[in-house]
Amino acid sequence: MVLLSLPCWLRSRLTDRFWRVQAVLKHARHFRGRKNRCFKLAIRSVQRAFVKTTKARRKKKSFMRELWITRIEAASLEHGLKYPAFIGNLLKCQVDLNRKMLADLAIYEPKTFKSLAALAQRRRQEGFLAALGDGKEPEGIFSRTVHHY
Amino acid sequence: PSQIALKSGASVTQTSLAHTSCPAFHSLAIIIAKTSLSSPPWPEVKLPDPIEEAKYHAEVVQKVNEMIATGQYGRLFAVVHFASKQWKVTSEDLILMENKLPAECGDRIRLEKVLMVGADDFTLIGRPLLGKDLVRVEATVIEKTESWPKINMKFWKRHNYQKKKIIVQPQTVLRINTIEIVPCLS
Repeated sequence: MVLLSLPCWLRSRLTDRFWRVQAVLKHARHFRGRKNRCFKLAIRSVQRAFVKTTKARRKKKSFMRELWITRIEAASLEHGLKYPAFIGNLLKCQVDLNRKMLADLAIYEPKTFKSLAALAQRRRQEGFLAALGDGKEPEGIFSRTVHHY
Repeated sequence: PSQIALKSGASVTQTSLAHTSCPAFHSLAIIIAKTSLSSPPWPEVKLPDPIEEAKYHAEVVQKVNEMIATGQYGRLFAVVHFASKQWKVTSEDLILMENKLPAECGDRIRLEKVLMVGADDFTLIGRPLLGKDLVRVEATVIEKTESWPKINMKFWKRHNYQKKKIIVQPQTVLRINTIEIVPCLS
């Protein structure tokens, strides 16, 4: 053999095409139709699926917050309070439970939720009296804030 | 005519009260006819007597203290603020968080920021936190792993633009051992 033409004969060829294709198809095995078997159809579906999961991860947070708010609203209406009144008055009482916790308490600790609703209602009434009474009525007991120094 | 007279009479007394606000008027106890404008449209709110309320509060606090001292509670739950999240926690339950802790596996940890503690008959609500001398929540670090590989992909069609990134988050698993409360309410 002529040694000078040996490098011209050596061409690089793709040898692991099978595994590259399988790496995409493994994410498509649970799809419906031909896109779980055929690479050309599968790669489009798999790309769209990945993009959808990335976007959904951001939207999940706002969706869960909406769900918690709906649940807290339903539970507070059972106790005769609307959601803005409940949340606003709880914050004014310096109770820092977030919506996830309030929703969990409303489901699993109904007595605790009832006492929180009563607290919010009482703070609301004290707020009304403070606004209407021109400071002549005595200060509310639940309106006193706690100072941490 | 009688109705009109009542209405005018009601308005007269109302205006006189508003302008003079003399204590003599209050002691006379004028009966104002109930019309659409004789009282404000919101329901009248009356708070209970503060002295009696203070007595009632002291009684309740003392009862709860007694219950805690004698141990008349079953399972305690606590709302704990940890790793910038709030967890509703009982004893013997597992917590998974998406971060690394500087503690080793098997270390006993005390969770200090307790927002609320409760049992079946009573709950202690913190404003916003409960005192460290009141509650003690202990946990053990069980596992420090990584999450399953999450895929982050961007793709614009017809623009030959795609990026794929695999994200692996560190995770820690804690087992809550005990929640203890001390009867030091005041």
